[in-house]
Amino acid sequence: MTPNPLIDLRAVQKYYGDYHALRGIDLTIHQGEFFSLLGPSGCGKTTLLRTIAGFEDVSSGVVMIDGKSMEGVPANHRPTNMVFQSYAIFPHLTVAQNVGFGLRKDPRSKADKDKAVVEALAMVGLAGYGDRAANALSGGQRQRVALARALILEPKVLLLDEPLSALDKKMREQMQHELRRLQRQVGITFILVTHDQEEALIMSDRIAVMFEGEIAQLADPQTLYRRPVSRRVAEFIGVMNFLPCEVTQGAGDAIEVNLPGLGHATLQPDQCPSGGVPGTGSVGVRPEAMSILFEGEAASGQIAQAEVVEVIYYGDMTYYEVRFDAVEAPVTISMKNIVGRPVLERGDKARVSWDARSLVLFC
Amino acid sequence: MASAERFGKWRRSEGLRGWLMVSPTALYALAFLAVPLVAIVALSFVSQTGVVTYDYTPTWKNYIEAFVEPQYRALILRSVIISLAVTALTVLTAFPVAYFISFHVTPSRKSLWLFLITIPFWTSYLIRVFLWKVILGYNGVVNSALLWLGVIDEPLGWINYNANAVVLTLAHAYAPFAILPIFVALEKIDRSLLEAGQDLGETRFQTFLRVTLPLAVPGVVAAVLIVFIPTIGDYVTPRLIGGKDGTMIANLIQSQFLRQNNAPLGSALAVISMITVAAISLVFVFLNRKNMRGGQ
Repeated sequence: MTPNPLIDLRAVQKYYGDYHALRGIDLTIHQGEFFSLLGPSGCGKTTLLRTIAGFEDVSSGVVMIDGKSMEGVPANHRPTNMVFQSYAIFPHLTVAQNVGFGLRKDPRSKADKDKAVVEALAMVGLAGYGDRAANALSGGQRQRVALARALILEPKVLLLDEPLSALDKKMREQMQHELRRLQRQVGITFILVTHDQEEALIMSDRIAVMFEGEIAQLADPQTLYRRPVSRRVAEFIGVMNFLPCEVTQGAGDAIEVNLPGLGHATLQPDQCPSGGVPGTGSVGVRPEAMSILFEGEAASGQIAQAEVVEVIYYGDMTYYEVRFDAVEAPVTISMKNIVGRPVLERGDKARVSWDARSLVLFC
Repeated sequence: MASAERFGKWRRSEGLRGWLMVSPTALYALAFLAVPLVAIVALSFVSQTGVVTYDYTPTWKNYIEAFVEPQYRALILRSVIISLAVTALTVLTAFPVAYFISFHVTPSRKSLWLFLITIPFWTSYLIRVFLWKVILGYNGVVNSALLWLGVIDEPLGWINYNANAVVLTLAHAYAPFAILPIFVALEKIDRSLLEAGQDLGETRFQTFLRVTLPLAVPGVVAAVLIVFIPTIGDYVTPRLIGGKDGTMIANLIQSQFLRQNNAPLGSALAVISMITVAAISLVFVFLNRKNMRGGQ
């Protein structure tokens, strides 16, 4: 299936007075994609969503939806619908009236519209809730009403503005899976705004990480996690250790780095997003990409000596903070607690196995 | 000794402490609200025999007179109509003001705007009524200006010393009381609801009709009650500016008490006007309840 572009943003800029909220966004979102805008608060992700919805005008640049420029097209004429962060459920209406709110101009008969409302409620798991007062619902139920209300209009794009941030942890995890299932079922393009990197990784086909009004990296979840393009992206997505290193040979297909206390590594160009320039730099490595070798376990890469300085036991996992010789900052290593594997104690010596393929070089 | 023990227990109980705490307010309410009310109701069932002498035999005579005498009946009806007109005019003009402050004034300036609205209150009610006399009179500002401009050939008669003048004056006097509750109701509306309305395909105006207006109803009802209840019994404005056909029930009650020296009939008229106000207010309260029941 060749991806079919649905939303095209070209050099989108947005100013609020002197404040530069969006600094030239170029972005293409495809038909049927689950796309996430991920970033810390104030990075412009919500502003970007609102320019697509039509609640904000762009200062310059073009927003195209389905091949049409959206310039001067108000929110009520755009093929987008939104699930608001506060859900924006109309408190003076019933659940069914909320869901059917956008059907006023629909040419179908009243009976058909009522049927559509019933089906939409069933789709989000609220069958039989139609006659309830909207302000008597729980947070999760309001969320579902907001979803049904938007999806009943069969938009080309569904925009979700931090839809899960107000829910408790259990409900949030449940809704993450449900949203993903719903998106596959209806096949509508979803654009999710979130500050929760785990949520973005779980749900999305592709993720745009934003900082200060710019897209820092646009990639699928695996690439984003394994090959972050900058230290900042790496720190924002999950946990990453940074080790000082010396780049001895920067050019060509093989970049040679020297890691004090660990040894020597040869990196491929895709592990060096900013290129390899001889000199000092740092390499990033995920906690699960290193492992402590126990009795009888074979090393999969190189081996370095370290001392355990902290042990955090999570039940399924144990997080160790270890210190390599000649490396000042401790390094976090996560180990799965499989049967027969002991948990080390502080002060224990450990043999750490690491693989050059899991490193990312930041200059 | 069981009763002494029980008394001791009661003395230390939370119930007693509760009564002690509300007693100043309760005594106040009793002395200045309940006692006069009971006195007026009681007085309405006796008959005046002399200047300060009464026949205390209970009688419906005063109520019958109030309903049979066409003049009294007309006055009660007129009071209701004037009050309703004042209420309608006040709320209709207050709504746009409240809407403007709530939706179009920057948040940091809102309190300034509300402050500006209270400026008329810095001067006495009486002076404001007199000012309307100056504005609306035969040689008043409005008539002089229109004459000078050549819009009219002789002073307009329908704007002074009649019910219209009373309605206008009262509407002005009560405007802030209507603006504030409507403003509060509008402020409480989550702005994302209005965006949701537009997002779901409605224009700004349709969103106003389907979202803003229904959610503002509690404020509008509060404004209606706050304006309607006191205006029906207003005495000063009809007296000073109402002329002959702008007289209202309060003027009649005052005249029964002081000039006609018929306090029982005055009391009966007061009770009737009170019941009328209560009945009409309850209709509004009921309408609001119905509106607030989740749209069912």
